[in-house]
Amino acid sequence: MTESSERPRLRSGRSPGVGPGGAASADSPLAYGPGTAIVRHVVTFGRVLREVGIEVGPGRVADAVRGLDAVDLTRQDDVYFTLRQTLVSRHDELELFDRAFVAWFLRGPVAPLVRQKQERRYADRIVRDTLESGADGDEGENSSTPRELGASAHELLRAKDFAEMTPEEFARVRRLMAVIARTRPRRTSRRRSPDPRGDRLDLRRLLRKSLRSGGEPLEQPWKARKSVHRKLVVLCDVSGSMDAYARALLFYLHAIVGSGGGVEAFAFGTRLTRLTPDLATRDPEAALARATEIAVDWGSGTRIGASLGEFNSVYGRRALSRGAVVVIVSDGWERDDPDLVAREMAKLARAAYAVVWVNPLKGNPEYQPLAGGMRAALPFVDRFLPGHNLRSLEELGAVLAGIERRHAA
Amino acid sequence: MSFRTIDELEEALRAADYLPDRGLATALFLSLALEKPLLLEGEAGVGKTEAAKTLATALGARLIRLQCYEGLDVSHAVYEWNYPRQLLHIRAAQEGTVSEEELFGPEFLIRRPLLEAIDSDEPVVLLIDEIDRADEEFEAFLLEILSDFQITIPEVGTIRARRRPAVVLTSNRTRELHDALKRRTLFHWIGHPSIEREVEIVKLRVPGIPERLATEAAAFVRGLRGLDLAKPPGVAETIDWAHALSALGREEIDAEVVEQTLGSVLKYREDIEAVRDETLVSLIEEARASADRS
Repeated sequence: MTESSERPRLRSGRSPGVGPGGAASADSPLAYGPGTAIVRHVVTFGRVLREVGIEVGPGRVADAVRGLDAVDLTRQDDVYFTLRQTLVSRHDELELFDRAFVAWFLRGPVAPLVRQKQERRYADRIVRDTLESGADGDEGENSSTPRELGASAHELLRAKDFAEMTPEEFARVRRLMAVIARTRPRRTSRRRSPDPRGDRLDLRRLLRKSLRSGGEPLEQPWKARKSVHRKLVVLCDVSGSMDAYARALLFYLHAIVGSGGGVEAFAFGTRLTRLTPDLATRDPEAALARATEIAVDWGSGTRIGASLGEFNSVYGRRALSRGAVVVIVSDGWERDDPDLVAREMAKLARAAYAVVWVNPLKGNPEYQPLAGGMRAALPFVDRFLPGHNLRSLEELGAVLAGIERRHAA
Repeated sequence: MSFRTIDELEEALRAADYLPDRGLATALFLSLALEKPLLLEGEAGVGKTEAAKTLATALGARLIRLQCYEGLDVSHAVYEWNYPRQLLHIRAAQEGTVSEEELFGPEFLIRRPLLEAIDSDEPVVLLIDEIDRADEEFEAFLLEILSDFQITIPEVGTIRARRRPAVVLTSNRTRELHDALKRRTLFHWIGHPSIEREVEIVKLRVPGIPERLATEAAAFVRGLRGLDLAKPPGVAETIDWAHALSALGREEIDAEVVEQTLGSVLKYREDIEAVRDETLVSLIEEARASADRS
């Protein structure tokens, strides 16, 4: 099926024609020896892209070279699209790619490309510092699993407000969180799998078994719909007043992300930023440091409504929140207009399966949701919980496990 | 049918009533030239599915479409055994024993889109529509097929593609696709078209529409996309709306006719409510001014 001999390698890009199952070859990724100017160009450009944070593997570079071989190199837009379509695989990388392309191929003046990278490095440094300073204490505690703690000490720890914990207590609590994180909202999948108590005959297996008994279906294999994790979206306020709680919640989230797919996490302050990839790959402390850096403008208040709006218009439009249990973690102090909070909450609640609001202030028995943002949001909230200590996170876990849709479509 | 240059492919797509921009034409061309599946992403209604259909027309190839949904599994995407027939066959054989080979022969195999596309002797464009709706288990399975272009059926053996189908995947990004799948595909993001192209598309799809009306409709929809709507209208909506306006015998848009027909452009009540009164009037004015300029 490969007929590479048929295909003259012309720089002008006149290949004998392409079509499904046609003459184009899939082998020999580099048409001309890897010393040629164009290959060097593409390889270097690939390196430039990696510098700015776009992941470019060798396979992609080979595709780009093969692609350029097939198009007219004198047309700048063809070269641009060929490189873009072979080297980039995500919509959110397009802007970075464009800037790199302009800088590299058109040698145009562009905004500095390294901004993101520096941010990341800064965050990495914070992590390193944090890890190094905390390393000793962590090791020393490896032996004290939660169960070995005295029951009363355990109870005290569970009831202690996150904001009042010492680093050691916090480290202990972290381990407990992995346990509560296992309870997650579930729903019935459309996929069926073998199950002796199933509601449908598994015909494929029935037939195979019948063969052995001369066509008589003596054994009846059943299958049933599986129950799978429901999508979970968490929006966490990381502004100054929420610091201790946000940290605790992020450890909890980290444990949840480790419990399986279908979790999306976001941090917000004055802006919204997506945390999911960070939580999956790195330490939650690092994720928090980075998120705080991006999302919080110190000295300016929290913009809950605007952040929810950003979530709705960017991620909600992509149906990320549809059918999901959405958990918002915030003290509800809105800098801007509470009406905006109400409008965006209404949109969110319409798409979501259920909305849970976790407010650490609620841990105080005296607390009344009088803050403008909180009051505006409450009508759209299915469950309102404190989340200021471990016990209330357990409660959150239990609520999530059994949550049902209450609001109308 | 095959194409030597992007221009040739573009020409063929135009001949099939589809106006691709240069980027999309390049993407489709590269997908054929490199024999790599093409992943098309973009807002709803920008013509992702249509692009694959038109490619099939332009190639003179058969279009095989797999619409993805949650829970899609092998028996609906690849193949399934025809159990009722198999059972009847066993019964019909009476005391003579039925061999497994006989029972799992081709006459009992129901071929679903993926098998159909792999095991085809004619040229095929395989459209895997809305892959983001299928679950991740299926994505992993698809990955295998798209890397080797072969399917293994335990009872039959491995079926290898004699000619590789052209593969187009579309996604609305309701979730991120797995990196491994993305590594195996070319990626093209389809944005909303420029105003000139959209006018061109409307004129092509709504034959006989007055030039001015086409421009105003396209400009108005473009204005809507600039608002913060739950579902911004795509090209498909512009075409629907232009059809409606044209059918009403309009030469121009005004507040009255827009209010009557807005339902074919905006699909959510809250969006329709957001585009009332002053917003509507100013959008119409802008659209008319845009038609005056051109």
